[in-house]
Amino acid sequence: MEFLNILIARFRALLRRDKVLNEIDEEMKAHIELEADANRERGMTPEEARRSAMESFGNVGSIRDLAYDVKGGGFLETLWQDVRYCGRMLLKHPSFTLIIVLTLALGIGANTAIFSIVNAVLLRPFPYQSPEQLVMIGEGAAGASVSYPNFADWKDDRNIFSSTSAVRGNENFNLTGAGEPERLQGRLVSAGFLSVLGVSPALGRDFLVEDDRPGVTPTTIISYGLWSRRFASDQGVIGKQITLNNQSFTVIGVAPRGFEFEQPADVSVPIGLSADRFKARGSDPGIRVVARMKSGVALQEAQTQLNVIYQRLEQEYPKSNTGRRAYLTSLQESFVGDVRQPLLILLGSVGLVLLIACANVANLLLVRASTRRREISVRVALGASRWRIIRQLLTESIMLSLIGALLGMLVAYWGTSLVANQLPAEIPRLSQANIDSRVLTFTIGVSLVTGLLFGLAPAIQSSRLNLTDCLKEGDRGASGSRQYLRSALVVCEVALTLTLLVGAGLLVQSFRKVLQVDPGFNARSLLTMQVSVNNPDGNQVASFFRQLQENVTRIPGVTAFGISNGLPLGVANHPTFFIQGRPLPEPGQETGAVRYTVSPGYFEAMGIQLKRGRVFTSQDTPETPLVMVIDEALAQYFQNEDPIGKQISQSRDGSPKYEIVGVVGHVEQNNLESQGVRTPQFYLAFNQIPPDRLPGYVRRINLLSRTNVDPSSLTSAVRDQIAALNKDQAVFNVRTMEEIVGQSVAPRRFSMMLLSVFALCALALASIGIYGVMSYAVAQRTREIGLRMTLGAQRGNVLRLVIGDGMKLTLAGVLLGVVAALALTRTIKSLLFGVSATDPVTFISIAFLLLLVALLACWVPARRATKVDPMIALRYE
Amino acid sequence: MTNPKADLLQGTLDMLILKALSLGPLHGYGVIQRLRTMSDNMLHVEQGALYPALYRIELKGWVSGKWGENETGRRAKFYKLTKAGQRQLKIEEESWDRLALVVAKMREAT
Repeated sequence: MEFLNILIARFRALLRRDKVLNEIDEEMKAHIELEADANRERGMTPEEARRSAMESFGNVGSIRDLAYDVKGGGFLETLWQDVRYCGRMLLKHPSFTLIIVLTLALGIGANTAIFSIVNAVLLRPFPYQSPEQLVMIGEGAAGASVSYPNFADWKDDRNIFSSTSAVRGNENFNLTGAGEPERLQGRLVSAGFLSVLGVSPALGRDFLVEDDRPGVTPTTIISYGLWSRRFASDQGVIGKQITLNNQSFTVIGVAPRGFEFEQPADVSVPIGLSADRFKARGSDPGIRVVARMKSGVALQEAQTQLNVIYQRLEQEYPKSNTGRRAYLTSLQESFVGDVRQPLLILLGSVGLVLLIACANVANLLLVRASTRRREISVRVALGASRWRIIRQLLTESIMLSLIGALLGMLVAYWGTSLVANQLPAEIPRLSQANIDSRVLTFTIGVSLVTGLLFGLAPAIQSSRLNLTDCLKEGDRGASGSRQYLRSALVVCEVALTLTLLVGAGLLVQSFRKVLQVDPGFNARSLLTMQVSVNNPDGNQVASFFRQLQENVTRIPGVTAFGISNGLPLGVANHPTFFIQGRPLPEPGQETGAVRYTVSPGYFEAMGIQLKRGRVFTSQDTPETPLVMVIDEALAQYFQNEDPIGKQISQSRDGSPKYEIVGVVGHVEQNNLESQGVRTPQFYLAFNQIPPDRLPGYVRRINLLSRTNVDPSSLTSAVRDQIAALNKDQAVFNVRTMEEIVGQSVAPRRFSMMLLSVFALCALALASIGIYGVMSYAVAQRTREIGLRMTLGAQRGNVLRLVIGDGMKLTLAGVLLGVVAALALTRTIKSLLFGVSATDPVTFISIAFLLLLVALLACWVPARRATKVDPMIALRYE
Repeated sequence: MTNPKADLLQGTLDMLILKALSLGPLHGYGVIQRLRTMSDNMLHVEQGALYPALYRIELKGWVSGKWGENETGRRAKFYKLTKAGQRQLKIEEESWDRLALVVAKMREAT
């Protein structure tokens, strides 16, 4: 209580200066008047009485100041004094201050930037109600898709989940009617999608069970963005009709502002409308399922309960469900599980950079502390306690770090968007990275810790001085323990730098290895784009593509043209396949392959090599026998037999059968990092799709144009050909194949680049650190070096002496760093590709790089040492 | 001792103020008066110097101040010794006595 009173009094004094001063004035006035009263009683005239009272009171002004200091005094007043004093000291040495503040601003700023991304992506709770109750469900594996009929069998089981919804993102919708035709990304969901997440629509209502079945009036919920963009935020949009894929939908709701769930979507549509598409109990096409667990049910428990249902389904549908089990993942894990580790590694690395920056700043302060010894000894001589000195020096370092943090916020503000732009856009909530109260707390916390970290050692050092020694010795005191401390700091700096460099080196190596992977196709000079054709007449669709093929190949610069339903380095279908004439595999033991449906020109356009047989030709039509081209990985299933002429079916009952006519090279499908694990692939002929089924195939189809010029220069020419055939045909996702390859390695490139930048910063800081310590050591040993030279030491000896000392420190740091790196690189193992976490080449070359840089950093002060004139050095007293 | 106030160490002044207040609440001017009487006019404290010391011990919680009126109706701040102040006075008196004893012994020895 007493302490609190004092604190309140002090705050009051500091904040309400006038009031406190008034009170003091009043009290002093009362005192003087009391004395004057007494004087008058003793018979003085009123003027005399007053003057005498004033005289005996003393100097009113200075007493007033003194009294105020006491009242506001103690902690806060001293703090304010210290701050003013530090301000003056820092302004007196502007370059020193600037270097430190800038170092800290970069260090703290980079940390804030990375933390604000970590905060947005990993820490901030999802904007759904009780997100910890939400889970994603996969069949066969965590994160896998679920078959819609299976989902329908348990979605209403209220023993496990209080609510469930199917979600299928990445659906395409062509919005036509009023205004420009527009291709929209959409999602299929089941009834109650928004209520599962505990989100209420900004306008209108959620889907009801009545909306979510085949044959009812189609309804849609549009995104807030689409509502404001396309409908000018019209409140009356509910009940309006919009045309999606040539079908009329009634708008029943508007999603809340900023609503996100996995892939972006401008329109949501009940999945029940197209339940036909999902009637197969296999895995293709699958849906994703989000569910809210009943409160108090643990994830593991829910999974066990759900699998009781799956055991029943297994008995009921052995063909599709044998061995199939459900896997639950928390929403958090499902959304950000993949990015957590890379982000935390980056946060850790940027923290190391800040540590190195701290070591450097501490070193600078130590140098300065030695030039300030006189000042400090005078203060001590005048009665400042040791604690008082430490406090003042710490105030100074914390002030420096706070100024650094302030500037760092600017760095972070700019850095966050810079970093976020480099990050793959699929990372959820990345766009929401900003500086909020948590980031602010983090930054202030970091800067206070930073200030203490780099300020504590120098402050304690400085306060522990021997007064008489100091005053006698003047500015040049050679303090052994201080030099020792500085050396220790350099050793740590080098060790941390080596760790970061090795980490970055391993990532660079991995990136190079990934780019060296042969994707199985030629990514150069290849233009890709997507169209979504909405025409129920299969014959018209077929002729559209036939015509397009002819027209595009006539464009000068286009050497080949192909059509495909999927592209490498993306998501693909994985249907099962059955080689005819072989025993059927046990249910659940089937093998899957990636299926592409392509036009004859596809292989040439992609640059996929034909190994045996033939590829498709225009003679393959719906009327001719079904043919198939397989890749080398699938060909291995035939062991020593010749696959050409053999038959494969996609279904267990063996119909329809496809005859293998050719074998082509394997293509990397998911990414370039399969590391030799090759999922078989097979190709079906686009031209053999019967006209009645063709419209279903062309909802999203890729057009590939191989060129002998810069591929992007032909974009408009190809677009013109499409428009000439159908002016309403929307074209989207225009990319060169090289861009697609680039995008597929973007996350890897991002971590590599950022870690490299951090490592280079660390290297620069460490070399400055080594340089600083060696320069200081040379300056301190000027006399000794002069003496050695007088006694006959050659320049070479002196050079060796200084460089030797510096290299000893570096070597110690390198050894320490190798040990640290061996321990730490294990954490980035999952980010490595084709290189081991203890790759000796990386370790050795990085160690040499560091030694080389350190050599350079020592070279400059060593040269200076050799220039010492012995005569001057000896007189240097 | 030509100039006692110059030698009046801070701690001593604190103790004297506490002593003065131990006889009853006083305003600042009253403290000065009482110090004079108590020291038979041998101790002259610069009157103004009293206040910083008074505020310091007020913050330490040894005395508590309250505005009031004196017998002639003048407004002044009256200070009263707190429990903590009484304890502090005892501690300081004891240590002062010890010091005086030591000094006396040393003087006798020479």
